[in-house]
Amino acid sequence: MNSTLIFQSLISGVMMGSVYALLGVGFSLTWGVMKVINVAHAAFGLLAAFFAYTVFHRYGIDPVVSLVLSVPFLFFLGCALYRFLLIRITSARAVIVSSMILTFGVAIILENLALLLWGADPRLFTTSYTSKVIIVGPFYFQYPPVIGFVMSVVGISSIYLFLKRTYVGKAVRAAWQQPEASQLCGINLGRISAITFGLAVASAGAGGVGMGLLYSFEPHSHNLWLIYLFLVVIVGGVGNVLGTAMAGLIIGVITGLSMAFLPYQWVNLLTFGLLMVILVVKPQGLFQSEV
Amino acid sequence: MRRALLRKNASTLLLFGLSLFLVATAGPLFASQPIVIGGSLPLTGEFAETGKLIEKGMKFWAEEINAKGGLLGRPVEFKIYDDESNVGKAVTYAEKAITVDKVDLLFGGYPGTAARAVMPVAEKHKFVYVSMGGHMKSFEQGYTFSFGAPPLMGEWWYEGFFQWMETIPADQRPKKAAVYTMNNPVGSSLTGSIQKWTKQLGIEVVIDEKYNLPLPDATPLIMKAKQLNCDMLFANGFFGDGVMMIRAAKALDYNPKAILQGIGSVVPAWIKELGKDGDYVFSGTSLFNKLNFPGNDKLNAYARKEFNIDGYPLYFGFGYAWMQALAQGVEGAKSLDQTKIRDWLKTNKIETIAGPMTFDEKGLPAPINFCTQIINGQVELVWPLNVRTAEPVYPKPAWK
Repeated sequence: MNSTLIFQSLISGVMMGSVYALLGVGFSLTWGVMKVINVAHAAFGLLAAFFAYTVFHRYGIDPVVSLVLSVPFLFFLGCALYRFLLIRITSARAVIVSSMILTFGVAIILENLALLLWGADPRLFTTSYTSKVIIVGPFYFQYPPVIGFVMSVVGISSIYLFLKRTYVGKAVRAAWQQPEASQLCGINLGRISAITFGLAVASAGAGGVGMGLLYSFEPHSHNLWLIYLFLVVIVGGVGNVLGTAMAGLIIGVITGLSMAFLPYQWVNLLTFGLLMVILVVKPQGLFQSEV
Repeated sequence: MRRALLRKNASTLLLFGLSLFLVATAGPLFASQPIVIGGSLPLTGEFAETGKLIEKGMKFWAEEINAKGGLLGRPVEFKIYDDESNVGKAVTYAEKAITVDKVDLLFGGYPGTAARAVMPVAEKHKFVYVSMGGHMKSFEQGYTFSFGAPPLMGEWWYEGFFQWMETIPADQRPKKAAVYTMNNPVGSSLTGSIQKWTKQLGIEVVIDEKYNLPLPDATPLIMKAKQLNCDMLFANGFFGDGVMMIRAAKALDYNPKAILQGIGSVVPAWIKELGKDGDYVFSGTSLFNKLNFPGNDKLNAYARKEFNIDGYPLYFGFGYAWMQALAQGVEGAKSLDQTKIRDWLKTNKIETIAGPMTFDEKGLPAPINFCTQIINGQVELVWPLNVRTAEPVYPKPAWK
């Protein structure tokens, strides 16, 4: 085993893990903050990926640039979904279970919508930079994962700063840490919840385009992406934005190193074995839940 | 009294005449009853697109045969259940078609997992079952009523390629091979012929690794193949992982003499989505719209008219070919007796759009070895010579 292969595997793993984190951050937010497990989260990401694919092929707009349109749209879609659908279950005794069932239905609708609009064929982003690489010594940095990594850093930092530094972000945190007290301070719980859900769905859009830069996608792909969402959120701790980012990197490092040292068929076994160990040893995740 | 006698005689005559009419017309009346061909296809769910193509191929065959006067002089019609891409439901509907609907014939299902699961049902009820099967293992279970006409066999996938490679002078063949295979029954079915042929042709397999799906990243795999100077790459995977291998190969400027991509590169999306990067990849198939056997032109003309595409889709062809084989069995046996159909198929040659076929005791034709290569964005047949549509491009040009 040579050091070039080990380091190259590590680089690839980190880039890949960062995109998982970007996709997972909104999922973590709704789960940790609102106690809503949005099973349709990855399906929203897929919708953004299909939209990016369409505008790229029709108008030549780069998939990353398409987020300028899809992210606001998904934000408002998320807000509307909360106001008209999710609000009905937030007062239920078992919000987690109810939300899973409800959003499972939403995921099926989105998947079938994608099938109807784009068909079942797999899709790829093939842009001018798809095959380009940055070569540093013996190491290769492919453009799409690098762009995915940058998107992840920008996306997760933005969400983190929004929650920590802005008035609305602070209101989000306050509303879910102390719902009654925050209402007494004049915070509109319904409005803040809608914003939180909208933000999460919008971040799914960015994550979906990031995943599209790395992998092919078709209308069923969100089921697979959902597995990675659970992985990063459980490892990172629900509701923890930075924890999710760290979890993505940890999973990337583990995947990269195991690809370098172990037979490839063991990689997923090791990654998901890790998930089981964390669930048993530290069910709250490696990082403390916050918000 | 006389009037009563006359009336009685008239009634007897009328009755006699009516009986004669019934006897005379009973044959044609019975003969006009349609032959019902039943079973299930995945018309919704994960495999719906392919299932619908098979259905269209079958229906095109039915239109054609009904226009010619039907099968055994009777029209054919289908009783098609939607198994929702669920293997369990495919089995249930096969049972239902045979035992409840009492269909006359059974049609082949999809995907291989469903076909494989229906094969024992067909055997139990002694119903002829013509399908793609579920690779070699499904035909090695001792079933006598199952036929692959044509089958889709991973075990035969690279036969054509290696037969062609055998014609290349030894010093121009690749020396070292990297074999990456998805860890599932489809992937495993591809590896047997690689081991056999690389040994026979003196190609050293320096990497032979399996990976579980989904493949997180192909870069380390390609880097390893490049570092070990493998001049032949087998990327035995589906579309998603196959694409990752190709993209990583291009990014790392890895230029083996030949890239073989089993399974994933046969879907039209390979050319559409990968563009030039998908070129020069070798693969295999048991049916293709550029084959020169009778019937392919007709199907291509239909595809042009109905789907606005130049060549018929692969699974449209499969649906048609399976019905072609079943119909020849029925016409050969001159009966709907399943055992007679089976026996006729086992002892006679049939003509299909995939070529002429005779079946062995497993229900399989001789190994089908069409080798394909993507050249300038077109899938071309490069082996065997009698079906060749283009000269193979070898060694693969360097990435541009």
